[in-house]
Order: sequence, then structure tokens, then C-alpha cells
Amino acid sequence: MSADPGPLEVNGRPVERASIPDDERLLDTLRWRLGLKGTKEGCRSGDCGACTVLLAGETVLSCLALTRDLPALPVTTIEGIEEDPVAIAVREAFTAEAALQCGYCTPGFVVATVGLLKELGPDVGVDRLREELAGNLCRCTGYAAIDRAIRRLARGGP
Amino acid sequence: MPLTLERPDGVDAAIAALLSAPDAVPIAGGTDLLLDLEAGRVRSEHLVSLAGLPWARVERTGEGWSIGSTAPLRRVERSEGLAADHPGFVEAVRSVGSAALRHRATLGGNLGRASPASDLLPILLALDADVTLVGPAGPRRAKLDELLRGSRDLALGRGELIEGVALPPRAPSAYAWQRVRPANDISQVGVAIARPPGADRWAVALGGVLPRPCRVPAAEEALTAPTPSEEEVRRAARIASTAARFASDRRATAEYRRRLVDVLLRRALARASGGARP
Amino acid sequence: MTRPDAAGKLRGAVTFGTDLERPGMLWGALVPSPAAAGRLRAVDLGPARRTPGVVAAIGAEELRQLLPSALGRERPLFPVEEVAYRGQPVAAVAASTRAAARAAARAARVTIEERRPVADVEDRYPEWPGPGAASDPGVIAHVRAGHGNVASAFARATLVHSETYRTSGVCQVALEPHACVAEVSDGVWRVTSSTQTPFGVRDDTAEILGLPAETIVVDGTWVGGGFGGKGAAFLEPYALALARASGRPVELALSYREEFRLGRSTLAAVIRLDTAVIDRTIVGRRVRLLLDTGSSLPGRDFATGYSIGFLVGPYRCGAVEVEGFGVRTNKPPFGPHRAPFAPQCVFALESHLDGLARRLGVDPLEFRLAHVWREGDETFLGQKVGPFGGERALRAAAERARAWRPSVAEGHGLGAALGFWSTGTGAGGEVRLRLDGRALRLEQVEREIGSGSVIAGLTAVAARATGLPARLVRLVASDTATAPVDSGVFGSRTVAALGRAIVQANEKLLATLARRAGGGPVRLEEGADGIDVVGPAGRRPVAELLTPEERDGGGLVAEGRHYGNAPPIDPSRVEDGTFYPYTDFTASVDLAEVEVDPETGSVRVVRAAAFQDVGAVISEPLVRAQVEGGFVMGLGEALTEETLWSPDATLLNPSLLDYRIPTLLDVPPLEITLLEGAPGAGPFGAKGVGEPPILAVPAAVANAVADATGRRVRDLPLTPERVSRALIRP
Repeated sequence: MSADPGPLEVNGRPVERASIPDDERLLDTLRWRLGLKGTKEGCRSGDCGACTVLLAGETVLSCLALTRDLPALPVTTIEGIEEDPVAIAVREAFTAEAALQCGYCTPGFVVATVGLLKELGPDVGVDRLREELAGNLCRCTGYAAIDRAIRRLARGGP
Repeated sequence: MPLTLERPDGVDAAIAALLSAPDAVPIAGGTDLLLDLEAGRVRSEHLVSLAGLPWARVERTGEGWSIGSTAPLRRVERSEGLAADHPGFVEAVRSVGSAALRHRATLGGNLGRASPASDLLPILLALDADVTLVGPAGPRRAKLDELLRGSRDLALGRGELIEGVALPPRAPSAYAWQRVRPANDISQVGVAIARPPGADRWAVALGGVLPRPCRVPAAEEALTAPTPSEEEVRRAARIASTAARFASDRRATAEYRRRLVDVLLRRALARASGGARP
Repeated sequence: MTRPDAAGKLRGAVTFGTDLERPGMLWGALVPSPAAAGRLRAVDLGPARRTPGVVAAIGAEELRQLLPSALGRERPLFPVEEVAYRGQPVAAVAASTRAAARAAARAARVTIEERRPVADVEDRYPEWPGPGAASDPGVIAHVRAGHGNVASAFARATLVHSETYRTSGVCQVALEPHACVAEVSDGVWRVTSSTQTPFGVRDDTAEILGLPAETIVVDGTWVGGGFGGKGAAFLEPYALALARASGRPVELALSYREEFRLGRSTLAAVIRLDTAVIDRTIVGRRVRLLLDTGSSLPGRDFATGYSIGFLVGPYRCGAVEVEGFGVRTNKPPFGPHRAPFAPQCVFALESHLDGLARRLGVDPLEFRLAHVWREGDETFLGQKVGPFGGERALRAAAERARAWRPSVAEGHGLGAALGFWSTGTGAGGEVRLRLDGRALRLEQVEREIGSGSVIAGLTAVAARATGLPARLVRLVASDTATAPVDSGVFGSRTVAALGRAIVQANEKLLATLARRAGGGPVRLEEGADGIDVVGPAGRRPVAELLTPEERDGGGLVAEGRHYGNAPPIDPSRVEDGTFYPYTDFTASVDLAEVEVDPETGSVRVVRAAAFQDVGAVISEPLVRAQVEGGFVMGLGEALTEETLWSPDATLLNPSLLDYRIPTLLDVPPLEITLLEGAPGAGPFGAKGVGEPPILAVPAAVANAVADATGRRVRDLPLTPERVSRALIRP
């Protein structure tokens, strides 16, 4: 009686879900089944944003999603946005401002910034983008350099 | 903990799945439930996914707004026109977690978990929201205030599911909260106020109180004027801050919560009624 | 500056401890003590062993057969008789999946005859401990020292200012949880770990497992933040014991909940400060500290004797008396944390002086300027003060405060504070330079923790010392079996201490080359075809000056070392306990403007300025990044961060939801001023900069709140509820 979830598409490749345990989180599927370790495990409770990935282009926390419960929509990880033009712009801005230190929160920040810029459009203001990124925690930079990188990316705001 | 996930593709199948095991619980976004399962606060080996149900709508109807229980909070907050009609409700939705969390977390999930610290229950109580339910005996409609039995306790029948929430067409409203950290935190106290169409007074509801978010009728009595006077607001705030049972826990003492209710009610009213802020 | 690690980190392509994987690897999990205190009766690992997927389960019983040396009397791997804190590992398991390992750890049955735990130093000492308390069983450290006639100073005083401050525990919160992978074969115990100190882990692990240090090899990974939390052995001995028991590689990683519950960090304290003044001059000080040291072992506490000096602070005073008690409680042991406990000490002292200055009607910054150390002054322990930027930083802050004051809005307040810290600490370190015709290799053990001190700081020093372009300097990090010894990436020491060793190694390298080139002085330059030696005898390619062995074997090698040079303390001033001398005297001043919500007590910092004594700047972007990061970590300690403990010593907020580090929305614009001119012992006069930026933030914020409201909050952090309580205080 249970509908087969069908394959999940991760970074453009189908991933068979039949053999994945029902209680496996997307984070673990990505990291340990698919070897996509760019997605980081931080708090594993939805409070830090280190595990952010895109589901149909929208940011989601992979630590709080069951792999088999997801609709058959494309999942995109940090590894899957190598050639994405928005991601290239985000990486350039983060590089120019040295908006990273230890690098552990960095993939989550990049994916979240890319997802939010796409969701809210390039005219999203700086204040709005900053507010939307408040769920991504960074302990090293004090956010100052990240804030400068965001200013490079968000148009239309102060 | 072996855990199975059913993915029913229709309402009847979902109800049947819920009835098939005594410990079955529905899962929508899962952003709260998965944490409770891991911590052992909820014990279940049978999850029933609501992902396949057609309940993700956010729409204006003849009666008002109809929001499906599996609508992600992010869709709710970004719905055209909703913020203009229900500013307090959208304020409350946007205060929940982070953007990434709200892409998965659902309105039904927040209601169903019925946390005493929920940021959505107070505003829904103030809006006098109707909850639509579907169960083995068919659909029914109930007031949220009647369904909300206690802390994390919603009076649902066995096999019954939250189908959605019905809001009035529009209502002046506001939601004011206090947190130690403005973003990514649980509200110590939330105060929601609203004046649904035809109501003869402002509705006041509190979150962060025991055993569950509640209306404060005694305070509402002081707030009949569309723009209450400074004195009326002060009286209502004083009543609200003594009417409810306040918790003392790791987030705040009862004494501080009481003080906050007084402050936040005044601020919420000032925002919603455009009145003076005493 | 483009960070050399930016490209990899922005793609999620660098390997952290949590990413480690080995063929045939098992997952480990720790079995926690369910009680905070009591006698360990039984650890039944039967149910754990029967959990599907489990390969090994070890407790003290099993170790007795497998590795009896790991049950040494002082630091047994697992407790044998008494448990010291809730969550203390009493056994460990290894299984084929992480879920199986965790399930097995939960299945183990641990029986403890519970005792009422000591949860709080003030439960233990409701009244301040008397002279006899030094020998109480729960007191693991007692320090007492001073100089001058304190009693007479207080008797003559025109004003005595007396206050009690309380501070909460804080956590490091590196976003990467602790993680390592261990392998044991052919008598080599090998562990790869996300650590700030490979050699520290090696030596600690050797002691805990009772093995010779040479048999243990520790290798690092990219570290996902340290802040002191990865500055000692922690998971490594457990992982090695599991690898030994299972015969397989074992990965052991903490969940974030465990990270909070087991983490070693700063704990709570009560601080009493009494200051005697004649007119406007401080003539006498009494400083008393009651510090929660958790389950630290007697004789291993560094915090009490080190911290108390930061309560005396960088100020002149003719008569000082200090006494501190380190009190054992049933919490994890006190551990290192970015300037451990110093921001709390600075909060108490600088709040105290600020309030005293206001009582005296003196400008708080002028009051500090009148007393702050100048080079050549003496500390309360008689140590000579080296070059110190305190005066310079205070003057710069005073000027900025005057500029800001007219625009400080109604309901806002302005506050400043001076922090003092000793940088460039640690037990010393060594590096190896290896020069061939093409490149200079810089061989050492440390891995990058985020500050850039290793991958960009050390290479910048090597480039500047040798005169070579940075792209010809290759950083080589290797394990403890092959790299020169070093004490770790902590203590604001990496560039200061290892940089000094690089300078020394370079001098040796040049001396050898000068000899071979027929006389010096010589220098290195990039030539047409590789690296050239340039000197009185002209220009020659390096390759021509190498011996055949060096040409074949990887170049000319020179080693450098730096083992500190702290001026001594005067032993006659120490009455009891262990104190530690300071190395580089480093100052940090913060100025903050806050807005206080008079009804809720919420505090928002609206702008801030940091004035950092850096000795000399080696890489300005990296230094500024440390100030930015340290400031915001300090902001968390000022306003929101604290560990909350129940009366039965359970941590109540072990999550990133309830332990509230700052978010992007909490951060004000920050102006940064780097002050050179008071050189340290680091290369080119540099001082360490990792820790100092955090020091004065809580105090500056608290002083600004006092300025805005006229009320002094004496408990840290200044949560809205605490501020609100101060506002309604009669």
C-alpha cells in the first residue's frame, strides 16, 4: 500500500531508494552512501545550516529530511553547483572577501546563498538576504566578511 | 529503533495506515518530529508520510483564507496577498526557524506538534481559526481553541488528520515576541492580537505559557475600542500578565514572562491598531 | 588577499575529521555514565554486544585483559570506581554503522550507586571558603600571592569599592564536532584527528593508554574550528582502544549533543573585587576567585593560578593580595577555550573599574590611563612588563569615544574596556626548512584550523624571512613520526612561536650557504632558473652549493626552534599554589555603543571599535579577520552564551538552539585599529592575535549598558532577563 518513492535525483543522477532504510536522513545518504561529503554534518538538529542542500532549487536542511520521504524532485549539493552561474558569482564574492575561515560552515553558506538568490531574485536587498541567512551559523569569521560578500551579491537594497 | 515509513498516496490510505499500528504517527516536514523521535520524546516505529496528500494549498476562498496542512511555511509566508490580509500571521510564520527549515516545516506539523512555545498557535487562536480535519468518520471542522487540550496535546480522534486551517478574509493583527537571540531561537513569550471581521473587541492570545497557548478573555474585555486608549491598553496588559500560568524554565522565569506579556501586548496593539504606544 | 584554501573550502572539497574514511572501517560510540556522581557498580556490555553489527565492546573489565596499561591510577581510560560527571565515557563500542554503534551504546547497562553531585561551587561553598578550605578534598587548586601592605592600604583608603561578580560557563562551539579515525597494526598506534595539537594528542594519549609515545603516530586533518576545544587528546585514546579491540580502523565522531555534554570548556565562577583608593589613585587591591574546575584532576588545573592575574589586570598598584580556589564539581573537566576564562575576568575587573571611576567622578578611560602598565613596570608577581600597547590602545579608544559621544542617541550608551592577555604561549616548537634549487619547503606538524595562521601565516613569515616570493615556499604538514615537534595551534602562538623558529632556521640556512659560497652575508633570490644565492662573491644557483647527497636527497636542511622566554616571577610573592609567567604582554581595547530596550532588557550593539595591540602586522587581512571573529565570539559571551546546569549537574541546553552563538543579524559594524609599536617576541616583532580580540568585548558591552541605564549588571552574560532585573532593581 505504500507508494514507491521512486528514484531521487541527486546532482542530475538517479539514486535508487529501494535499498535505503526508511529512517535514513538525506544527510547520511549524501555523505556516506553517495560520498558527497561537501555537505557537512554540524548540529544534526536543524539549528546550524551546515547541511543545507537544494531540493527543487529551494534550501532545505538535509539533516531533517528522511531520504525516502522526499518527493521525486532534484536534490543539488555543493558538488552539483560547480558550473552554476549564480554559484560562480557567490564563490567569487566569498573569495574576494575571504568570507571563510575553517570552512566547515562554508558549503552550507554557499548553497544557502545560491538558493536564496534564486528564490528571491537578484533584486533582493542586502537586509533581506542577511535576514534569510541567519539560520547559517559561522563561528570563525564573525560574519563580517560574509556580510561584505553578501553586499556584493544582493542588489536593490541598501 | 527500527522505523518504517509508509507513503500513502491518498487520504483514505493515509487514514488506514494510521489505524494499522497503535504507535503510528503522521510525518509532514518532519523538522520537529524527527528530533522528538531521536530524543525519545515521541515513541513510534511507524511513520505515515503525508507527502503524497493534496493538502499543500494556500488560497483565498469565498470565506477567507484556506491553508492546507502540508503547505510548507515558506509557501505560506510568500503567498501573494496573505501578508496584507493577515500581517500578524505572516509575522509569526516568518519568525519560525530559518528559511531552509521553513521550506520543509508545515503549518499542520506546527499545529499537530502543539508545542507550548509554538509561535503559530497564539496568532491562530487570536484569529479564532477553524481547523479542518479528516478521519475514519469523515471530515469535520473545529475551533483550534477547542482542539488544543494541553501541552503537545491536540484532541484528534484515532486516525484523524489535520487537513488545513481556515482564516477569516482579513483581520488587523500583530504578533510580538521576545527571545534571548532574535533569530534562531524559541520565543520566551509570544503575544498575538487580532480583530477578526465583526468582532466587538481585540482578541489576545499568549504563547510560552502553561500548559498551552491560550486566549485571555479578561484582557480582551478591556479592548473593545478599535483604537483602545492608553488606559485601556494598560489595563488589558496588566490583566493579561496576571491571567495566565507562566512557566519558569531554562528560557525564562515566570516573573520575567509576566513582565514581557505586559510589554509585548502594548507593542502588538500599537502595531495592529495604529494607536499610541504607552 | 586570496586565501590559499578558499577554492577548496568553497567547493566543500577539503577533508575534515568528520569526513575521514578507511577501508573496512567501523564506527565507534561512547557509553555515557547515566549519573553525575557515584560508585560504578557494573557495566553490562552483553546487550551492546548482541546489537546487530557490533564488533567490539570494551569497558574497564575488557581493558584489563586487552590493554591493562590503560587503567593507570591517575587517568584511567574508563573510570574504575567513581564516575566524575554525567556522560563520562564508561565503555565504548565499535560497529559496522554509526546507527548500530549508537544503538549498542544505548543498549549497554550501566549500574551506578548514585550520590548527590556537586553541581555548583556555591552549593559547595555557600559562604566564602575560609583559610582552612585549601586542604578540603574538593579543592583541587589553591593559589595565594601578593605584595605590599594591603591591610594598611585599605585602612588608609578614602574610598573602598567592593563588588561580587558571577560568570557562567561558555563553550567553544567549533562547528565541526570532534572526530578521528584510529588504526592499530604492527605495533603502531596511528590516529588521524581533527586536532589543534598532534604532538599534544600523542603525548596525552601515550599517558592515558600507558604506551611509549614513540609507538603512537598522530596525523592532522583540516580542522573545522578549534577555539581550544581541540587542544588536547579527547576521543583519540578511545578510538585507538576500539581499533585495538576490533582489529579494524575505527572512526569516532561526537554528535553535537555530546559535543556540549562532554566538551571541556570554561565553567562558572564567583569573583570578589575590593579596591582601595586614596583620592583618585588605587592604593590597594584584594582579588578573590572561586572557580568551578569541573572534574579536573588535582595538580592538573591551570585555570585558577593563570586566570587570577587577569583579575588583577594590567594596572599599577602598590599592594595586592589575591586568593583563588579551584573547586571540583561533577561536570566535565575545565578546558581550554579562546583565552580561557579571561573575557569573564576582564568583564569583572573592567566593570569594577568603570563603576569605581564613575563613583570618583573620573572619566573611566582616563582612570585606566592613570594606572595602566608601562613597559618596565612590575606585575603583582614581580614580573617585568615587556612592551605593552595598553596605553596606546586606551588613548586611541578615548579619542574615538569623544568622537562618538555627541551622536550617541537617547537610550543608548557607550562603554569601553581594556583586556590584557599573554600571547605566544605554549611549550615551544620547531620547524624544518628544506631548500633545493627550485623551492623552499617548510616542514612542520600543524594543520589549518581556520585563522590562516598555518597555511598563510607561516608561509608569509618564511617568505619575508628568506626574501623569496611566497609561491616558492611550500608548506609541508606531516605526522608526528616525521615532522619536528611543536606544541600546537593555540595560545596565540602559531605565527609568533613557529614564525620565530622559521627565522632562526633561515639564519642557519644562510650561514651554511655563506660558508659554501666563500663568505657572507648572503641572501636568497629568485633567479632565472630557480633560487639563487646572492652575496659578496656574486650570484650562484642554490643547486651549485648543494652536496651530492642534498641534491639527490631533497635539499639543504636547517631546523629552527623557539622555546619562549618569559621573564621570571618573583617566588617570594607566592604564598601557595602554581602561577605562570606571562610571555608577550598584549592589549586589546573595545569600544561599544549599545541600545537597551528599557522594557524587555534586550541589548543590541549598534556599533563598535576594536583597538588591537599586534606588535607588528605580518598579514593584515588575517589579523583583521581574527579581530572580527574574536569580537563576535566575545559578543556571544557578553549577551547570550552560557551553559545552564540543573541541580543534579545535568547540562540543560546542549544544542545550538539553546546555547545561543551570534547569528548574522546580531553583528554590528566594527571599526578595527591595529596598533604597532609595542613589539612581541614573534618574527619581526609580531604578537599573537588569535585570542586577544575576544577579551574586552563583554566588559565593553556591560559598561555601555551601565552608561545607557545607570544600572550595573554583575552577572555574565547580559541576557535580556538579567538586564531587565537590573532595571527594576529598587
